Amino acid sequence: MSAFRLQQVKGHILPENKIATMAGSPSPLTTHVLNTAMGVPGSNMSLSLHRQDPLTKAWNLITTGITNDDGRCPGLITTQLFTSGVYKLHFETAQYWGSRGEASFYPYVEIVFTINEPGQKYHIPLLLSRFSYSTYRGS
Amino acid sequence: MAAAESSPLTTHVLNTSDGIPGAKMALSLHRLDSQLMIWTMLSVGTTNEDGRCSVLISREDFTPGMYKLRFETGAYWESLDQTCFYPYVEVVFTINDPDQRFHLPLLMSRFSYSTYRGN
Repeated sequence: MSAFRLQQVKGHILPENKIATMAGSPSPLTTHVLNTAMGVPGSNMSLSLHRQDPLTKAWNLITTGITNDDGRCPGLITTQLFTSGVYKLHFETAQYWGSRGEASFYPYVEIVFTINEPGQKYHIPLLLSRFSYSTYRGS
Repeated sequence: MAAAESSPLTTHVLNTSDGIPGAKMALSLHRLDSQLMIWTMLSVGTTNEDGRCSVLISREDFTPGMYKLRFETGAYWESLDQTCFYPYVEVVFTINDPDQRFHLPLLMSRFSYSTYRGN
């Protein structure tokens, strides 16, 4: 089988952007960064996922990552680790715009959210320009 | 109100689910102490019936630096007997030219929000 054909078959079995870096099923929590100013994915943006300790309220780092060419970051968390609680996604937005030679109004963006049903899928995108951003809970 | 008009930083909360202003939402403004690397609270307030909060900071106090506006979204939706995906929203921004006017609205629903730099 040619390398090209093998890639096509893999694509039918499991979409490439859902292949988790950790063994097992894809991450129940996903994100997608979009550069709405330029109409392109927000690629090569550093980000991190944290969970808040319910007693101390301190933030514990779970994962760090960098968005790929499609603006996604697979393998944020495993199903086992994804328990109910308060989480935050931290995006290094000024660093992203700085690498493009531009300033950003927002040094970083943090999205804090509550997970009550960890059995569901949560897709938390960041639609971003230099002077605006938005997010929503998808699945 | 002359005081509100001269405030260099304003906000406006909109409840996009119901198409109404986000009234009676608690919020606070903080500035980052760049030497100690800690946040200092500058003011607290509650949005009025129009979703606005007058006089967040005076011209004199509005110096260049990193600020954050924190909106108590969880408490807001709870007062409407509803849950919210976001317990709070913090918008962190950099002010390089405090002589300008900055309008930072928050358009929000239970499962989404957006913000932008206006004037």
